[in-house]
Amino acid sequence: MAERKSLIKIKPKKFKSGDVVKVNFMVMHPMETGMRKDKKSGKIVPADYITEVKFFFNDTPFTTMQVWESVSTNPVFTINFKVPAAGTLKVVYKTNTGEVQEKSKKLKPKG
Amino acid sequence: MQRRSFLQRIGLAAAATAATATLTPQSLLAAEAPKGPNTMDIDAALKAITGGKAVTPSKKVHLKAPEIAENGAVVPVTIEVDSPMTPDDYVKAIHVFATKNSNVRCADIMLTPANGAAMFATRIKLGSSQDVLVVAETSTGEFLSAKQSVKVTIGGCG
Repeated sequence: MAERKSLIKIKPKKFKSGDVVKVNFMVMHPMETGMRKDKKSGKIVPADYITEVKFFFNDTPFTTMQVWESVSTNPVFTINFKVPAAGTLKVVYKTNTGEVQEKSKKLKPKG
Repeated sequence: MQRRSFLQRIGLAAAATAATATLTPQSLLAAEAPKGPNTMDIDAALKAITGGKAVTPSKKVHLKAPEIAENGAVVPVTIEVDSPMTPDDYVKAIHVFATKNSNVRCADIMLTPANGAAMFATRIKLGSSQDVLVVAETSTGEFLSAKQSVKVTIGGCG
């Protein structure tokens, strides 16, 4: 499947090593519950939702999420992270249809 | 359940080495949350997670959700738990439930001390006016909870 749009945002933009930052992970995903009917055809839209989101720092997992249908369309997941040093933040997510996608961002603490 | 047994084996190996090696985030990451069937009521879902242990309402868990949500499809929820987040005392997992949705489970977040602070925010769907329940599991084996009722004007499912 084509790559879905996703974005990792770090707040605040400027931080030092040892600081606790907010990590925002946004995905463009329909999060279909499998209970909604298509208004035109009257058929049930098949379920398609994110089931697992994993956060890695330098390939070491530090946060795992299990997600269910009740999360909104185009979800945003926000967690905190204490940046130990410069490195790569990677987010991998899986859906119930077997799709696996990832997104990474380099962290460059100043000072 | 191949994956689970694989993870358990990793966990055992990590436990064996943990005695000598320093604690890494990987070894502290809570094992996979118990996966129940998709649709279950709130009591069954809670039992699957706590294993029958008591859940105590606590002021340490701060749940921020709107009292009245105009659109049930996008209800912002923020959870913060007071915790030092050290390897001895940290929040292992945060579970979010919507008590009247057809699938009460929204999200289970497994945290480690590397997070620095126990916080989670997302947007959830609510089918009707109901309570949002949050259960935080600490590394000491306690289950703390917080609850808030949300009035929904337009349902978010279907």
